[in-house]
Amino acid sequence: MHHLHSHTHLAAHPLTRVDARVKLLSAVALLTMVISSPGSAFPLLACVLSIALCLAIGTPLRTLALRFSEPLFIAVTVLLLKLFFSGNSPFFSFSIAGLELVAHRDGLMEGVRIASRIMGGVSLLAVVGFSTPFTDLMAALSWLRVPQVLIDVALFAWRYLFLLLEDAQVVYNAQKNRLGYVGYRRGLSSFGTLAGVLVIKAFDNSQSITTAMVQRGYDGVMPRSLQRPFRMAEVTGALLLVLGMGAVRLLWTVI
Amino acid sequence: MHISEGILPFPWALLWSLVALPFVAIGVRRLNLLAREDLSLKPLVGLMTAVVFIVSCLPVPVPTAGTCSHPCGTGISAILVGPLVSVLIAAVSLLIQALFLAHGGLSTLGANTLSMGVVGSFVGFLAFRGLRRVGASLVVSGFVAGLLADWGTYAATSLFLSLGIRGDAPLLPLFTRVLLAFMPTQLPLGIIEGVATAGMVRLLYRKRPDLLLKMRVITEKELPSHA
Repeated sequence: MHHLHSHTHLAAHPLTRVDARVKLLSAVALLTMVISSPGSAFPLLACVLSIALCLAIGTPLRTLALRFSEPLFIAVTVLLLKLFFSGNSPFFSFSIAGLELVAHRDGLMEGVRIASRIMGGVSLLAVVGFSTPFTDLMAALSWLRVPQVLIDVALFAWRYLFLLLEDAQVVYNAQKNRLGYVGYRRGLSSFGTLAGVLVIKAFDNSQSITTAMVQRGYDGVMPRSLQRPFRMAEVTGALLLVLGMGAVRLLWTVI
Repeated sequence: MHISEGILPFPWALLWSLVALPFVAIGVRRLNLLAREDLSLKPLVGLMTAVVFIVSCLPVPVPTAGTCSHPCGTGISAILVGPLVSVLIAAVSLLIQALFLAHGGLSTLGANTLSMGVVGSFVGFLAFRGLRRVGASLVVSGFVAGLLADWGTYAATSLFLSLGIRGDAPLLPLFTRVLLAFMPTQLPLGIIEGVATAGMVRLLYRKRPDLLLKMRVITEKELPSHA
């Protein structure tokens, strides 16, 4: 989770200044194309373009590698699973420790298709995540008529996530210094206590936050973020991008 | 769990999103109702979301299933705030993870909300309340609730994953294979989650029974003598 802390971007890059609503809607449109794509070429194109964009906005390579490590692992595993355990047309075979493994041509195709969908989808979201502050994304969701209570809960969670993480680290270090994780039984008991302390801190913090907010006029409704009007250039650019990618996807399907 | 972005084909992703939507809507309605009576509830649910986020962000790779395991945290949230609000907590935490950590995804948000939020919360809540009704202690009820919420989540995830990637293959053998693939990590993780949930409930009962009373987990008669 540490790459959550390194969630930085170059504010100077034009993409970071594009309206979050435009970015989110474009990403959802492209994501729909990626996951409904019958082949693997379009998702891979989306993946390459998205990674290039992430690098262009100044995302450090290490952060990018961390972000992609889990989905990449999942993509490779699905690919191998499909290659060896599904399909009917044999491709090649070999044996490991007496176990005969047969790779299938159709399994490989299916595996590549799913793996490319995973990488395409994840990289599209990475562009949005790396180029948009959390609060802007929540404001965009609010504009898209996502219920306000859901947005409020997300904003509270994001605001106090890092404080709770720090608390968890402090408690964990204290437990570790007192040999709280020596042995299975003790370790499990310490983990339970750690989780319990987090819940108690969540309760106590929620009470003090409410008191502080009520003193500042909170009556149960959080003020909505104001959205600036759409800029024609941004909307046109996004439309051209989505239509262009849609045309490429269509061409690939037809060919 | 979580099912990664892009794994599910479009029709399945859409179907699970549509199935999950009413549960989230009911959760929203429930929280709106409760928040009108108690102003501290929204911040509390936000902080519980942060706790669930942290707990469910500890991925353990499952090489044989092409995904990863982790504790869910929805067992304890369902015990404390009820299953409907717990669905909302899971949905928000999954949304943040999808957008900023590449855990799960937007296209799989519906499937992940169903397995972790709906199945995890309801199984945990019903196990806890059922056991309390037949006289089981808080610790035992908490343990079983955490354990079953975790295992229930993984059974549902295995089903959604198998349905999504099976192609023309028969469902049952693939479902069994995915379920078996999860077992080496999920059996111990479920037990850890059970112990953690029991530990949390025990700690709350010892140190802050007022909170359990406020959340209607215990009655006034059950308050410890020192409270």
